[in-house]
Amino acid sequence: MSLLFKGRSQGASDVRIGLAQQFTMLMVSHLRQALNSLGELWRQPTASIMTVAVLGLSITLPSTLYILVKNTEKISAGWDQASEISLFLTAQTTAGNAQQLLARLSTWEEIDSTVYVPADDALKEFQQLSGLGDAVAYLEANPLPDVILVRPTEKFAGPTAAAALLEKLKQQREVDIGKLDIEWLERLYALLDIARELVSLIGILLFLAVVLIIGNTIRLNILNKRDEIVVMKLIGATDSFIHRPFLYTGFWYGLLGGLLAWLAVIIILWWMDSSIEAFAALYQKDFDITGLTGTALLTMLALSVGLGLLGSMIAVQRHVREIEPS
Amino acid sequence: MIKFEQVSKTYLGGQRALSKVNFHIEPGEMAFLTGHSGAGKSTLLKLISIMERPTVGRVLINGHDLNTITRRQIAFIRRDIGMIFQNHHLLMDKSVFDNVALPLIIEGYTRKETSRRVEAALEMVGLSQKAKNSPLMLSGGEQQRVGIARAVVNKPPLLLADEPTGNLDPKLSMEIISLFEDFNQAGVSVFIATHDLGLIARMRYRTLTLRHGQMITDGLNEDEGAWQ
Repeated sequence: MSLLFKGRSQGASDVRIGLAQQFTMLMVSHLRQALNSLGELWRQPTASIMTVAVLGLSITLPSTLYILVKNTEKISAGWDQASEISLFLTAQTTAGNAQQLLARLSTWEEIDSTVYVPADDALKEFQQLSGLGDAVAYLEANPLPDVILVRPTEKFAGPTAAAALLEKLKQQREVDIGKLDIEWLERLYALLDIARELVSLIGILLFLAVVLIIGNTIRLNILNKRDEIVVMKLIGATDSFIHRPFLYTGFWYGLLGGLLAWLAVIIILWWMDSSIEAFAALYQKDFDITGLTGTALLTMLALSVGLGLLGSMIAVQRHVREIEPS
Repeated sequence: MIKFEQVSKTYLGGQRALSKVNFHIEPGEMAFLTGHSGAGKSTLLKLISIMERPTVGRVLINGHDLNTITRRQIAFIRRDIGMIFQNHHLLMDKSVFDNVALPLIIEGYTRKETSRRVEAALEMVGLSQKAKNSPLMLSGGEQQRVGIARAVVNKPPLLLADEPTGNLDPKLSMEIISLFEDFNQAGVSVFIATHDLGLIARMRYRTLTLRHGQMITDGLNEDEGAWQ
């Protein structure tokens, strides 16, 4: 250990500490400092709770958004297969032509089932659903075309296969316009992409805030302990020994903040559960929201602890060095 | 033990604190450093404990040039030097025992060994009964003795004291000095900076005198000191 005195044989006494003992004592010292840091947070409950609350809530927002986006993806993944193709027939098509087309389509292996909606039925349905009611009666002629709804087999329901089927159907001479019901899904996906990016952006900003908050809290801690740090440096404490209690404080802040965020997410999901169910019911979907899975929870805690450590590391690197005995 | 070779120290701003100081304190020697306030005593001690670096010249401890010591190694150097300060530098929110134990905890001693050594150190300075007290409850002389116990608890080969009797009456001062003598008897080199000339006059120890940053005498007594 001694740089100046080999084994300190020249001094008052010989000091020798074995490697194994050094390692054990390092572990003991780590444990002691970790518990001391926790004890210090405990002794200043108000300040600690405030800091932990700020961290917890900062991590809650991106976590909740992340869960919402994940769940939306889960729902829409179920819808992906339900694509339906609407074929709008040309005005010249007679009912007989339409039946011929239906007969032809029934032989196609890609098609699971077809529904024929004649123009008159479509108009009636429109009259009922649109709420325009009598206004429709003033129309001279039925402006709606005959429609065939085509439901592809499961194998051809995927977005690309369904798109290929649509092209093939459009080749039929009776067909005026073909529309794949998957387009709205693509729009949803695009929206989800934006939402995901927003979540990342909000996450990054809030995580940065967490690092700054912890960094600043630790900086104040360091300034409060200025005298103690001076004494430690004078009696031969290494920088890492002086850093450790502050790093552990950052660690505890991160851990407690992460746990608080976890709790907050659970409460928020429970709170939102009924409204989400109501939303899902609109789509005739039975849907259970997935909360934080074990991995997601661990990731969140690890992230939170990591941010706590990062913040405290930045603070100690900058500020402990500035404090020198004079 | 401590060797200064042509050491000068100029602070930023041009204030010259030490100029061309030379001296050598042998292992096991006990010596005093004296001079008026501002003569450079504190600067000289800071060069030994690497709180400052010399502008010119070399400071050696046990033959090791301190100029070659990196920032990271400073902590390890300070473990070899027991330092005692005028204002004690105790941690007021910790007990006397914890204060004295600090150097051992830093070095990673076991709990048992730490207890044993702290008790021995407190015994030496006569504070065994006050181990659990806060330093705030102790008198100035007692606080200084806690500082001394902390400085010697890991048995460093070298003790540095900066005005250790600064705030104490002559009787307490003599007690403190006799503690240093005990350690010196045990083979520790002791180097004490003080402006308490009366204290030095009562003893026959080598005395180094600084004036305006220059070493003006180095000898047993101020009158018989020789120019260096």
